[in-house]
Amino acid sequence: MKISSFVYSLRQGMKNILRNRFYSLASVATMIVCIFMFGVFSAIVINVNHVVREVEQGVAVVVYFDEGISDQQITAIGDFIRGREEVADATYVSPEEAWAQFAPVYFGDEDPELAKELMEGFAEDNPLINSANYQIHLKDVSKQDQLVKAISGLEGVRRVDSNDSVADVLTHFNSLLGYLSVGVVILLFAVAVFLISNTVAVGIAVRKEEIGIMKLIGATDLFIRAPFIFEGVILGLVGSGIPLLILALIYGKLDDLLRTKFGMLSGVVTLVSSGEIFRYLVPISLLIGVGIGFLGSMITIRKHLKV
Amino acid sequence: MIHMDNVSKAYSTGNPAVNDINLHIEKGEFVFIIGPSGAGKTTLFKLLLKELEPTSGTITVAGQELNSMKRRQIPKFRRNIGVVFQDFRLLKDRNLYENIAFAQRVVETSSRKIRRDVPQALSSVGLAERYKALPNELSGGEQQRIAIARALVNDPQLIMADEPTGNLDAQNAWEIMKLLEEINEKGTTVLVVTHNREIVDAMKKRVITLEDGKIISDEKEGGYSHED
Repeated sequence: MKISSFVYSLRQGMKNILRNRFYSLASVATMIVCIFMFGVFSAIVINVNHVVREVEQGVAVVVYFDEGISDQQITAIGDFIRGREEVADATYVSPEEAWAQFAPVYFGDEDPELAKELMEGFAEDNPLINSANYQIHLKDVSKQDQLVKAISGLEGVRRVDSNDSVADVLTHFNSLLGYLSVGVVILLFAVAVFLISNTVAVGIAVRKEEIGIMKLIGATDLFIRAPFIFEGVILGLVGSGIPLLILALIYGKLDDLLRTKFGMLSGVVTLVSSGEIFRYLVPISLLIGVGIGFLGSMITIRKHLKV
Repeated sequence: MIHMDNVSKAYSTGNPAVNDINLHIEKGEFVFIIGPSGAGKTTLFKLLLKELEPTSGTITVAGQELNSMKRRQIPKFRRNIGVVFQDFRLLKDRNLYENIAFAQRVVETSSRKIRRDVPQALSSVGLAERYKALPNELSGGEQQRIAIARALVNDPQLIMADEPTGNLDAQNAWEIMKLLEEINEKGTTVLVVTHNREIVDAMKKRVITLEDGKIISDEKEGGYSHED
């Protein structure tokens, strides 16, 4: 297709859209809802995944030993833990290190001098003498249960602590949300395809005579179809561009709000940066928009435009 | 230019619309096809444009064998033929210039050539000054002139007109026929399907008469008169 024909078809496609304003508007509105929902679900899923990853990066499992356990036994337990495939790494924390980690929390850090003095009082009498442990990072939080079971059965292990609930709940929530969003979005996309295909069908009906003349004059199939394909694709692009802009605005505002007004939450709840979210969301949404537009118009063209 | 050998076209019901026709029209001829309604004129017209496939027989138009022609080759083939209809079939929402340019645009002519050819086509039918007018601002005769200009603008080897004077008064009908005759004199083959008795009788051109799907007469300087 020549550039001039491309431009001509593009213009005709836009004319079709303006001519069938009502249908075009309905299609675009549905697309906006689709892509908006898709965007919201994606943003939630990405953010929850981000939290899960952060939880995973935190210590998931802490293993304490029986009193009087020998160094060899501790090493053997360590080797066993490190040998398991779900384990990312396991660090040994001696009683001294445990106390050094815990004491500042215990004495508070408002008066460092006093804290230091108090700590020195315990220098010869470590209250956490039995608190030597392994701190384990997992590769995948969902495998935490099986690890805990395996370690609990070992000889010399007194207790295994794990913060299973948070990661578990999040993982489950995320997969549930994933399924739900896939379902809703597929349904909406089907509606969007249907509406766009109807819009294009109206366009074809309006231009029936013109199409007949084109065929007799010797227009190629592509030339006859191109304006209707453009029509669908433009509807798809507009219908995905607008919700992306809205999403970007809302997301930015929400991020700002969490950082400023709810500063105390910033340690707990942080949003994935909008740059990171929209780096994926923009191309995927635009692609989906164009795809839906193209699919919608092709369905109609195949049905109503036998050239 | 047109060769039909033993061509028949049967629809699923009834007698064949075209029945074993042999027809040969040479380059540069002016030919009328006449006959009563249901004689098979429209079917013949559509067969020549490859809008319909013959049930049997072979058709060659402008040197191209239609039977073996692939679907994607049809558009290029049709560019050899300018088609004119009884109801003009102009695009009502576009002015005269755009109507003619449309014919060039759909065959992907360059914009420069369009700018050069359209004014020429408009003046060849005597409507150069009215290029901005919309079709419904024109008389029937003028609209048909524009339709002819549109058919001519891509330099076809053959002009096929289906009842081109059907919607026109006698004066306008004559003018359209004169225009087609002028086009023919410049070398374009012209095929006119018509009911217009006076014109056919007066123009003394080759006349092929169809009846019940068969050619019942083919006269060099014929007319309707023998039917009476």
